[in-house]
Amino acid sequence: MWRKPNFPTGLIHHSKVKPLDQTHALGIDIGGTFTDIVVYDRATGRIEKGKELTTPDDPSRGVLTGLKKLLDRSIAPESLYRIVHATTLFTNALIERKGARTGLITTKGFRDVLEIGRERKYELYDIHIAMPKPLAPRDLRLEVTERIAADGTEITPLDEVEFLEQVDALVALGVEAIAIVFLHAYANPAHEDAALTAIAKKYPDLIVTASHDVAPEIREYDRTSTTVTNAYVKPLAHTYVDRLVEQTADLGIDAPYFMMLSNGGLTHIEEAKRSPVQLLESGPAAGALVAAYFGSRAGIDNVLAFDMGGTTAKLALVEDGEPHVDYHFEAAREKRFAEGSGLPLNISAIKLIEIGAGGGSIAHIDAMELLKVGPESAGSEPGPVCYGRGGKAPTVTDADLLLGFLNADYFAGGSMKIDRDAAARAMQPLAERSGLSAIDVARGIYDVVNENMASAARVHIAEQGKDPRQYTLLATGGAGPVHAYYVAKKLGVKQLFCPLAAGVASALGLLIAPARIDRVATIASRLDDMDWTRLERSFNELEADAAKVIEETGFDPATARITRLADMRYIGQGFEVVTALPEGPYDGTAAPTLLKAFEDTYRRTFSRTPPDVNAEIINIRVSLRADVPGDGVGFTTAGTDTESSQTNTTRPVRFPENDEFVETTVYDRAQLRPGETFNGPAVVEESESTLIVGPGATVRVDTDGNLIVNLPDDTQ
Amino acid sequence: MSSQSFDSATLEVLWTRLVSIVDEAAAALVRTSFSTVVRDSHDFSCVITDAEGRSLVQATDSIPSFIGTLPRTIRHFLDEYPAETLEPGDVLITNDIWMGTGHLPDISVGKPLFHNGKIVGFAGSTAHAPDIGGKIRSPEPREVFEEGFQVPIMKLIRAGEPDETFLRLLRKNVRAPDEVVGDLWAQITALDLMDARLDTFMNEYALSTLEDLAMEIQTRSERAMRAAISALPDGIYENTIRTDGLTEPLDLKVTLTIDGDEILADFDGSAAQVDKAINCAMCYTYAMTAYAVKCAAGPNLPNNDGSIRPIKAIAPEGCILNPQFPASGGSRALIGHFVPSLIFGALAKVIPEKIMAGAGSPLWCINQSGVTESGAPFAKLFFFNGGMGGTNQTDGQSCLSWPSNISTTPIEVIEQLAPLRVHRRSLRPDSGGEGEYRGGLGQEVLFESISKTPTAMAFLAERTRVGAPGIAGGEDGAKGELQINGKSVDPKQQHIVKTGDTVLLRTPGGGGYGAPIDRDPTAANRDRAEGKIGKGER
Repeated sequence: MWRKPNFPTGLIHHSKVKPLDQTHALGIDIGGTFTDIVVYDRATGRIEKGKELTTPDDPSRGVLTGLKKLLDRSIAPESLYRIVHATTLFTNALIERKGARTGLITTKGFRDVLEIGRERKYELYDIHIAMPKPLAPRDLRLEVTERIAADGTEITPLDEVEFLEQVDALVALGVEAIAIVFLHAYANPAHEDAALTAIAKKYPDLIVTASHDVAPEIREYDRTSTTVTNAYVKPLAHTYVDRLVEQTADLGIDAPYFMMLSNGGLTHIEEAKRSPVQLLESGPAAGALVAAYFGSRAGIDNVLAFDMGGTTAKLALVEDGEPHVDYHFEAAREKRFAEGSGLPLNISAIKLIEIGAGGGSIAHIDAMELLKVGPESAGSEPGPVCYGRGGKAPTVTDADLLLGFLNADYFAGGSMKIDRDAAARAMQPLAERSGLSAIDVARGIYDVVNENMASAARVHIAEQGKDPRQYTLLATGGAGPVHAYYVAKKLGVKQLFCPLAAGVASALGLLIAPARIDRVATIASRLDDMDWTRLERSFNELEADAAKVIEETGFDPATARITRLADMRYIGQGFEVVTALPEGPYDGTAAPTLLKAFEDTYRRTFSRTPPDVNAEIINIRVSLRADVPGDGVGFTTAGTDTESSQTNTTRPVRFPENDEFVETTVYDRAQLRPGETFNGPAVVEESESTLIVGPGATVRVDTDGNLIVNLPDDTQ
Repeated sequence: MSSQSFDSATLEVLWTRLVSIVDEAAAALVRTSFSTVVRDSHDFSCVITDAEGRSLVQATDSIPSFIGTLPRTIRHFLDEYPAETLEPGDVLITNDIWMGTGHLPDISVGKPLFHNGKIVGFAGSTAHAPDIGGKIRSPEPREVFEEGFQVPIMKLIRAGEPDETFLRLLRKNVRAPDEVVGDLWAQITALDLMDARLDTFMNEYALSTLEDLAMEIQTRSERAMRAAISALPDGIYENTIRTDGLTEPLDLKVTLTIDGDEILADFDGSAAQVDKAINCAMCYTYAMTAYAVKCAAGPNLPNNDGSIRPIKAIAPEGCILNPQFPASGGSRALIGHFVPSLIFGALAKVIPEKIMAGAGSPLWCINQSGVTESGAPFAKLFFFNGGMGGTNQTDGQSCLSWPSNISTTPIEVIEQLAPLRVHRRSLRPDSGGEGEYRGGLGQEVLFESISKTPTAMAFLAERTRVGAPGIAGGEDGAKGELQINGKSVDPKQQHIVKTGDTVLLRTPGGGGYGAPIDRDPTAANRDRAEGKIGKGER
């Protein structure tokens, strides 16, 4: 279960943690378009929000602008006790290939591992296919004499002289960072360690990453890819983080900084600088965390977090307050949404699926005369046709407007005028080709984009061996609440949850994130042949290492929750199932318990276990989490009025269940009061989005101001 | 005429849903499989067909050959077991080379999908088994009987009850029974999943049969493929290519007729079938033909029965592309993988912009078998690929599987699984054919056997006599090489490898596109700097 944030004052012994009179926590989320800044007052639970355009040339500039504005709003710099930060900077550097000039030194004979990859096409029929270009080009990939065997024994010692010559050569070629990857270093890191020592002696300032340090797992291509990626963004992480800290200090803020990791945990600055590859998905991770938080506060165990914006929709599963975490990730895809077209990374990251479905997704009719929606998007520029900014292609938002889901006069809180007639005109070419009316085309677009999201969710949920009917859909993002009800319906989900302040969800997530450190080591041993002393020692080493980082982050490791996991498989299989293990310590008697944990997990995922095969552990993992200090007040942006001043309006809306427009009540969300209930069909408007509720559903406003929608029972 | 019609939006929704069902099944198959062949190399497919066995949707991850063969296998199942002889919970199986995929290791299974007591379709899956007994996979066998355990079309599971006798026979006849049977269960997991999901889908949309939906999907796909073929210039185009063959090279010939909205590939004039296991059964020849046409004419069209109807292939009986019983076919990819290049070559003069120069395929593989130190038999199979050909837009990709999509196994995993030490795996400089867009590079892999006892090695290795052809003025890619202890050996023979013996694979490069003189000097300089051209200089 998610624990509500409480403030374990007596347990925190780190000198940097601030006393109680400092009441403000600061969250900074730098996204692709906007930088969100949120200040949370733990005494009152109130939130102040700020939004600035992201400044890609120097992201700290946008942060500083926003920060100054907030500080001007009577928040004293010295009242801040904590700053938590997430950024897309490193992801963008990968996508735009704007990282450091990076060299690789690897085992003799294997410098092309990074370029040869898995030898598999991500598209079968595309003769012009482009595989991702390696971050270290071939002339910057050098080799050295050394060899470790698969069992970790040394075959050929490391030639340190040759190694340093290769370092010299790379330095002469102007590299800013070096990755070191030796074969089987996950089994025995001695050669990589020796290389690190040698390099530190000769080039103390050179930025270096060794594979056992960031990705100690079998499979050389994935490990090399992870290590080189880390080296590639590391110099950027160093300058950026140092600069940001320095500049905020200039504003009189001396609160400690924490960085959000892709797994939804926090860490301190030095760990972030050491292994920035772990930060790639920090923004989306924060988004999933806040979904988990709202779910837990509302007492909902299983949440399907659904965030739909202008270009993409993201889905994440949250169970018992914890988002699912995956241990592999693919970054910077050559072809958006095409699995296998990116750089594989062995990092732990909150498991998200991304679908090319957003408000700006463009509809067209394909060679099969089928109505297709996305993945091409009109984005925000030129945007949907109804924005009147030059968009010509009909989009999801245009369809939503035509169906009455959006209010032409109150779009983005009335700050933007949108043109319904232009949207209708944009449907005409599709209407003519398909023989449908413009409204039916709009209905089709709405249904198709919902099915695209539901299908992706269905496969994702099934891969985990779960049943969608046991989840509550939690909708955020500009387009999320417009589509959530009918995505829920397609999935057989019974309940929909629409939180308050969904527009700055990710930044809120930063404020409630626990400190979380994950560690991994390859063991590769059969259960019936396990050296239990060694296994326990390995777990202890990982736990000690993670605890050290937790402690450095300012938390008491003694209060941290430790989870042991193992990547297990039946002997002969090649894919492992990450299995949560019972608490340690383990000795020889633990074999049946571990086997049972694995078989339960396996059966949950695949519905059957194979006959008479033994199991083995490939990797072991530990995850340490310590909750952040907080006060459990919860977030609120609600006003102080107690009287509802709701004056409902109505407008015609075309729901999928009906064959014509029906006059539908439109609620103003700002006027809704806790405890209020009403029935669908209904439309609930707020400045950042619009919630659509289908016929037969019931809506309740909970004590925090969130909307809870129960779908009618006859829903499939 | 269909009795129920679907508009563009509704059909898209239903179709998307069907694809998600087969994709879900494919994911389950990969994750539950036991062999590297399925899990790392993705040598499998999943399909849902209509009640007549005509393909409706294929898993996105399926490989091109099985996309073409599996629906035909389902129809053979139906011929042997007509609908009235099937009951819920039945699973049919075969590895017959003429009715399956052209070689015995591919095990195909099919399950009738019942809805309200009636068969509405079939779920099918093919996966390459880690072993099938017989002589280990090499071109040596003269007849299919030498190639391993043959499974006629039969019921593997009868109304939910597995045939234990069959399973015992299978286990007895293969070298890695746990892996083989484990993979079979993974395939059945995939079938069960498709069965359950399709039932839910039909209930949700109140469909009593798949007939109308299938008709609509297939008709629209057929129409789109016909339109795509119509856009190609009519005419009769010929091409002949030379393969390594056996002791003597073997020629393959195609006469391609594009006539309005149909395309016919006639392989008359190709070499006769041989008494080695490189014969390519007609089912595989057809699958490769359909793949080539789809790449050239409609790469974005879906895979189903409709989209391949306008594509026809014929070959005389007894030809190496249509061999007759009891021909062996274990290494049929050594001929079959030439078919797309053969067809592209015929089109090179008229639509070079829609095709690719010759690829450094067929795929290469090393197949090692022996006994472990504890005396248990083992058989391991690892794949390696050559370079793709250049196109009018881009250099060929280095070391990428084509036309198949079989990925490689990591060196660290190979060394963990097999008594092999790998000394080198690198790109082969200068192996891509020069051109305005050069061919992709092949690779060089050097193995040493560290088995205490001798092991048997067989290979898939081709293009050691003739490189991948360039097109539109581009040059040919480098030929492949296979050496044991530094000496070139016959790749079509099985070899016994002792401790310390080394095996060197050099996979072929792809052909170039366009005249080398037209190459962008920046690209050439980059190649030189990276040591990809210029005799390996660094």
